[in-house]
Parts: sequence; C-alpha cells; structure tokens
Amino acid sequence: MELYRMTATELSEMIAHKKISSVELTRSVLDRIASRDKEIGAYLTVDEEGALAQAAKVDAKLAAGESLSPLAGIPLGIKDNICTRGIRTTCASKMLGNFVPPYNATVIEKLQAADYVCLGKLNMDEFAMGSSTETSYFQKTRNPHDLERVPGGSSGGSAAAVAAGEAIVTLGSDTGGSIRQPASYCGVVGLKPTYGSVSRYGLVAFASSLDQIGPMARSVSDTALLYSIICGQDPHDVTTARRSYSDFVAGMQPSVKGLKIGIPQEYFGEGVAAEVRESVMNVAREYEKMGAELVEISLPSTSYALAAYYIIASAEASSNLARFDGVKYGFRAAEYKNLEELYENTRSEGFGAEVKRRIMLGTYVLSSGYYDAYYKKAKFTQLMIQDRFRQAFQSCDVILTPTAPDTAFKLGENINDQIKMYMNDILTVTVNIAGLPAISIPCGRDSKNLPIGCQLIGSKFSEQTLFNTAAAYENLVGGFDLDQAIC
Amino acid sequence: MDMDLKRLAKLSRLKFSPEEEVKYQAEMERIVAMVEQLPDLDASGPLIDPDNPMQLREDVSEHHFTRDELLKNAPEVQAGCIVVPKMVD
Repeated sequence: MELYRMTATELSEMIAHKKISSVELTRSVLDRIASRDKEIGAYLTVDEEGALAQAAKVDAKLAAGESLSPLAGIPLGIKDNICTRGIRTTCASKMLGNFVPPYNATVIEKLQAADYVCLGKLNMDEFAMGSSTETSYFQKTRNPHDLERVPGGSSGGSAAAVAAGEAIVTLGSDTGGSIRQPASYCGVVGLKPTYGSVSRYGLVAFASSLDQIGPMARSVSDTALLYSIICGQDPHDVTTARRSYSDFVAGMQPSVKGLKIGIPQEYFGEGVAAEVRESVMNVAREYEKMGAELVEISLPSTSYALAAYYIIASAEASSNLARFDGVKYGFRAAEYKNLEELYENTRSEGFGAEVKRRIMLGTYVLSSGYYDAYYKKAKFTQLMIQDRFRQAFQSCDVILTPTAPDTAFKLGENINDQIKMYMNDILTVTVNIAGLPAISIPCGRDSKNLPIGCQLIGSKFSEQTLFNTAAAYENLVGGFDLDQAIC
Repeated sequence: MDMDLKRLAKLSRLKFSPEEEVKYQAEMERIVAMVEQLPDLDASGPLIDPDNPMQLREDVSEHHFTRDELLKNAPEVQAGCIVVPKMVD
C-alpha cells in the first residue's frame, strides 16, 4: 500500500522498526500533494524543503538509537490560523497575506518537541468565519469525494487534506463546528476538545471563549495520538485548565458495554435530512447491540443556541479583529490621507464580506443601548445551555447526534444566503457554547454517495470516553473506508 | 429594527460604497432578526465559571524577540520605528 494512505499509528511502528524512513514517507505525501492538490486546493503553503529537512533529522536521530515520540517523522498539515515561526500564516485573509510569525503557537512547540514533520499550511474560511472554506481570500478547496462540492468549513483544508491522502493527520480549529462539520463532509474523524484543554496561544483569535484547536485524522487512534500530544496547561494561555492528562492511546478501551448513550430528539427533527437521521440511528442501534443502553433525552434549549452563538462569537470577533489596523503588521492600504483613513481603508480593503458582517454584528450587539438586549442575554442563555447539558449527563454518559443536518453541498450553493450557511452549524454550536468535547466520525453514505458523520458529545474532559465509544464503532465497521476519496 | 449602518461602519472602522451599503443593510437586518430569537431569562447573577478559576503566571519578564524580528512584519519602517501618518500638527 502507498505510504500516504496509511494511518499514523501504522506508520509510527514502521518508522520505529526502521522498515521505512521518515524521508520516504514525507516524499510519498509530498508527491501526493504535487499530483492531487491542483484539483483539491487544500494547501495555501507547502514547505517541501523544510519537511524533507525535518524528516532527515528524525531519521538521523533514529539511526543514532534515540527513542522518539510515536509522532516522530509523521507528516502533518496545519490550519493556516495557527502561528508557525518562519512560515507564512495568513488566516486565508488578504489582511495577513504577507504575515510571517516570529513565534510558534504552543501546539506547534509541542509538535516540534515530538519531532513531527510540517508539510505546510491549510486553507480555511477567512479568519475561520464560514462553513464551506469558500470565504478564503486565496482559493476554493474541493471535497475529495465530489469535486463539485465544498469540503465544509472552516477547517476545510485540514479535512480535505486528510481525506485525499495529502497529509497523515492535520490540525484544525473549532469555534462553532469548524472541525466536526468538515470532518463529517469529508468522511474523516475530527475532535473538538474540551474548552481549556488545548492552549490557544498562537491561534489567531476569532472568538476567544469558544475557539479550540483539535486533531483531524483517518482513524480514532490517530486522533487520540495527536490529542495526547497537543493537550495540557500552558502558562501563556490563562484559560487552559490546571490538570494533568493521561495517554489517550494507552487508555483506549474500545467498548460500549454498559455505556448509557443519550439520544436527544431535538437533534433529529425537522431540518435534518432523512438519510442522515437514519444513518445516525443505525449507529445507535449498533451500539445497543454491542451492549450500550440507549436513553431518550431532551435538550430543548438547542433552539436558542444558534442565536446565542452568533452574538457571542461576533462580539468577541469584532473586539479581537480591532487589532488589524495596518500599523504594526499585515496589510496596509496604499492610499490614505490621515490615520483615520489608514484604518478605514486598510480594514475595508483587507477584510472580506463575511468578516465585515461579523465585525458589524459584533459591534452592533456590544454598542451602547443594545448590550443588555443582545450580548448579556446571550451570555445568560449560554449558562442555561450549560446547565441543560449538565442535567442531561445525569442520565447518560455520552450523547449521540448527527454532526451536520445534511451532507456536503455544492460550491456556490449557499454563499449568498448567510442564514442558510449559518444553519449548517445548528447541531455543533451548542457544544462550543457549553465548552464540551465532541468527536465526529464517519457513519455511512447517502444516496449521492457522500459521507455522513455522527457526533458524540461528552461531559467536560471526557475525551477518553469519546475515543473509546468512537473506536468501538470504528472496529465494528472495520475502519473508515476512504478508498473513493484517496484513489 | 433600527440599524444605523453608517454609524456601525464608523465604529467598526469600515467604509462602504452606496451600493454596498444597500446590500449590507439588508443582510445585516436578516442576521439581526435571526439572533433576536433569545429567551427571556433572569439576567442577573455572576457570569464567571466557578469550575475553572484562572491563575495568572508569575510577572517575570521572558526574553523572546529582537526589535528587528518584530519589525519584519511592519508595513513601513524607518530607523527602527513604525511609520504612521502625521498625527499632531
């Protein structure tokens, strides 16, 4: 089998036993990018030279008899909103088109300590605002399962690269579904970790109270491997939780015997495609056969979640994006007469339409006279949603839902209808609002032969339970078949 | 709904052409109508998360960057300083 098709878990064994070198593996993935990415458009930057140099270093360390991390020598792609020292980091925006970070995000420092190989930077919706990767200033990314369709978003490049064999594993970020929805559309695994378990230092901020970096991969154990490396407290991010984490790969017990799985009726209602509903309920029935108990639960606050999400996320975005003023770094407009014009022209030319809409919405809900009616109300709605989840987890261990209401849509289909685009996030935003972890795994295909994803939601810091539950289904179906996308 | 797009644009440091203004006004009104669907809750009490108290790190300086490294990304630099339009006459 071609090396680029294999999982990190398999490749790690082969590298450690010197059956292959990291240079061979990296070459295989780089060749794959060279032959496939013209069509897919997952990468904004490919660092071929850096990747091969890093791979050679890993091979030298192994030859010298050093014992290395299981991630050593594995080629990764990184979403382009995560700062990489010396490698351009654009957030898929004209505003940061020439920005080369002088520092690494904490997750990158951790990956470097584990001797990973950085392939390059992956396309996304501009500043992670979108659900299709179509708001990228630079290029469209296509779904490897159907080139006329979107890969989802905002981590569309990260999902498409994994699905197409253009990376072994990738990092994405999730503010309202930006890892899980593209994972679902591209038929891969994606984890949105518990808020506060992964450092956000060096992640270009969109909505600081909701953003989390997370792994995307072709298997559950690869997802667990990458998560084990990136999680942990960071003195540079005060919102990271003070706690220790176990090795999630070593702790893997793929069984659901005695597990209580909550099925919230609100997530299977109107607006969710029948084929998606049926496919996810089929997963529930399989879990039941494996010894899990299905529990009907109710999460009525879900209907308010989307409104609360867009208020909180946009409010934080309008504040976070105030830093892009054309002064210290990034794009600066060519024409201006004074400082005010420098700001206005830079921001008007540097930001795309969706980013402008979010900044304006955020400014509106925070402005004097509207703050109580919108922002404050949304924050209290957030508390209510958190409380409802707490109640739900008294009667079940994990919650099973569809990841997205439907499978991947066509490029251009929703781009001019913001409300329709926002509806893509309706099943994922509650998780961010409540700060919970959730994993999306593939669970079949619809009649258009497009991947369907289901979402497992856990209580805070229950990632191990999510991995175990996801792996039990993965084992049952014999792994997630990506042949159609990869060939 | 009374959305003053011009004022919002000013506060956001954004500029729109007259054609854009019409388009954004309509789009923003639809979006605001969507986010207005919130329940009437008792909006009193604290908004902090008692489960996750934050702890600031020690206030000790860490050396990270040289001036040149940081100025590399600046749009316009002269004599080690960032250039901006004249602000005081």
